[in-house]
Amino acid sequence: MQTMVETRNLRKTYSRADGSTIEAVKGVDLEIRQGEIFSLLGPNGAGKTTTISMISGLVTPTEGDATIGGFSITTQSMEAKRLMGFVPQEIALYPELSARQNLAFFGRMYGLGGKTLSRRVDELLDFVDLADRQKDRIDTFSGGMKRRVNLAAGLLNSPPLIYMDEPTVGIDPQSRRRILDTVKTLRDEQGMTVLYTTHLMEEAEELSDRVGIMDHGEIIAMGTQDELTQQVGEEDRLEITTGAQNVGEALIERMQQEIAGVTRVLYNPPEQIGDNGSESTPARLTVFAKRGRTALPQIIQTLDAAGIDIQSVEVLEPDLEAVFLALTGRALRD
Amino acid sequence: MRSILTIILNDLNIFFAQRGNLVGLLVIPVLLTLVVGWSIGQIGGGGPTRLRVDLIDHDQTELSAKLIEELRAANDALVLCPLDNDADDFCRLGEEHLQLERAVERARSGSTSALIVIPAGYAAALEGFERINIDYYSLSDPLQPSPVLQSLNAVLQRAGSASITTGVAGALLDNVTAAIDLPPLDKETRDGFLRSIYLRSQEMLTEQPAPVRFRVADAASDGEDGSLNGFNQSGPGMGSLYVMFTVLGGMAVLLRERRQWTLQRLMALPLSRAQILAAKIGVYFTLGMIQYFIVFAVGAAAGMDFGSDPPALLAVMAAFVLCITALTFALAPWMKSEGQARGLVLLLSLSLAPLGGAWWPLEIVPEFMRTLGRLSPVAWAMNAFQDLIWYNGGFGDVLPEIGVLLAASAVLFIFGIRSFKYE
Ligand SMILES: Nc1ncnc2c1ncn2[C@@H]1O[C@H](COP(=O)(O)OP(=O)(O)O)[C@@H](O)[C@H]1O
Ligand SMILES: [Mg+2]
Repeated sequence: MQTMVETRNLRKTYSRADGSTIEAVKGVDLEIRQGEIFSLLGPNGAGKTTTISMISGLVTPTEGDATIGGFSITTQSMEAKRLMGFVPQEIALYPELSARQNLAFFGRMYGLGGKTLSRRVDELLDFVDLADRQKDRIDTFSGGMKRRVNLAAGLLNSPPLIYMDEPTVGIDPQSRRRILDTVKTLRDEQGMTVLYTTHLMEEAEELSDRVGIMDHGEIIAMGTQDELTQQVGEEDRLEITTGAQNVGEALIERMQQEIAGVTRVLYNPPEQIGDNGSESTPARLTVFAKRGRTALPQIIQTLDAAGIDIQSVEVLEPDLEAVFLALTGRALRD
Repeated sequence: MRSILTIILNDLNIFFAQRGNLVGLLVIPVLLTLVVGWSIGQIGGGGPTRLRVDLIDHDQTELSAKLIEELRAANDALVLCPLDNDADDFCRLGEEHLQLERAVERARSGSTSALIVIPAGYAAALEGFERINIDYYSLSDPLQPSPVLQSLNAVLQRAGSASITTGVAGALLDNVTAAIDLPPLDKETRDGFLRSIYLRSQEMLTEQPAPVRFRVADAASDGEDGSLNGFNQSGPGMGSLYVMFTVLGGMAVLLRERRQWTLQRLMALPLSRAQILAAKIGVYFTLGMIQYFIVFAVGAAAGMDFGSDPPALLAVMAAFVLCITALTFALAPWMKSEGQARGLVLLLSLSLAPLGGAWWPLEIVPEFMRTLGRLSPVAWAMNAFQDLIWYNGGFGDVLPEIGVLLAASAVLFIFGIRSFKYE
């Protein structure tokens, strides 16, 4: 398959107001193939938006380059930009203008005009199912409707490639469903290449042909979902919630050594949530084990013996969350 | 180029889609222009408080000097050029020597209130009790009371009366010497005697209270004319003030566009950064010009004058709007929040406007305030508007002001374009 987007050693260093610098992206090498949905999966602050901003010509890389359909984004940016559509994480629309006015403006910027423009705008309004609200101002729309117009605005030039930066943030489940289905339609019916970023494992799992897992400005794993889960081996993951405020290092050590199949134990202390820390999540133990169900009785026994009370136990097959946990020692959502 | 125009039109569309902007662009400036114009008209200010009068003295005698002295005393609003020119070159002479031809042209174009030419032989004619013409050139209607002409007439009348006295005294002296058979006086003694009579009689005439004391304000305050002058001040003044409000407001809008990511979306389009910047500059320049046109349209309806050189007026407007646009782009990169930007818009507009004479003419403020006012682009614009509207000046008269505004624009644009935040 042909390569649509390729990055080489992409780096971005921001300087803060206080003079310190932050390396938002630290040498990313990506290869996105024509016709696939490629997801960048990573927690907030991982550098997904910065990466997408660099390969869309919005931010100049501190180092490295990217090619879009063979055109360099730094030296042939006009050609490269004509091949791409862009759906930013923010609702990048003019709130005072109607949905139709917004789309017509961005269409005109791509050189569309007259009948061609109004036909394309009609098509897209139908595609995102907003034809009946096209004359209303964006600032009267719900979050989900805004997201759909935001998406349509990235499709005006019928590009072979589209970037979508967390396009489901802050919307209701129904609207999310709609967007996810739309993304699949773009690939399946229009043969588009999609670069999709998200911090939600479920979305990446549902959509992606291939996934790049990103953390602290680096791609820490990349491949198909099967390739990635194989990286953590055939290990199951046991999620145990407990009321214990602390689990000693010694106990963790002992579990890893004495229980057959257990390879790794991670402890996540309780977390304060809610507005004033009124509520907290229970502490969690994550145990990686070959044949998790077989090891379960002995695990429970060991914890019991150590006086750790167990509130719930869940045995999970290998997934992207497990990969992230295995690689970083943190849960994706943390 | 088409993309740039599309962006400009779209941004204007957005600007006008916001009700609040219409209030700032239309309602308040219109009301203020009318209220301020009317008030200035009522208190009789607004017009120039000094009159520029060219004076060419071909005679260069003690008597012509005396005439000039008298003219100054008769009306202290008169600034006789080039004699009484000040450090600011109120006379607008530049480096050039004032020749008759140029002075006539200045009077004809209205850039001076009048030209007075004292011919050679003036003193001799007075002493010889002969007729001589003092040439007076002015645009103003000879049937209307002109403060310059009235002052000149009063002074000449006094000189005339004194010369009659001298003539009578001379004839008397001759008759008396003949009648009582005295030896004829030598010429020198006779002339000395007559001159002292002339001076003495003129002194006496001057010491008499002048029947009317001519002030510029008197001319401006009679009836309708007064309020007209008020709009000549409030039109350009409020126009410039609101150009600042509207254009500087762009600082906050630029931040907003970055916050709502519409600026970033533009950058992901196949457009160069230069095109985006040009479009944004174009937007604020256009809004500034629209603001001037709105206020001037209201001024026109209320009876404001526009001078006799529309292209020059347009050039001054454009130079000022460009300067404020450049200031907007020079300051925008330093703004941390939209609130801070809006605060600075208020601060700048409300300080630069009065400093530059947008609310009242700078002629009435103390000297140091006038000097300080030079820092305000408003002062340069108002100065140019005065030249065009009050003095009927032309392009040549406002070139220095336009030059200063354009130079300031260039410097500010260099700062603004180099530090424009695309990311
Ligand atoms: N314009 C900027 N200036 C300074 N730091 C930035 C800027 N943009 C992003 N960062 C920092 O870079 C890191 C990566 O951010 P981002 O790319 O937005 O992550 P993500 O999209 O994965 O949440 C974060 O630590 C963020 O604070
Ligand atoms: Mg992001």
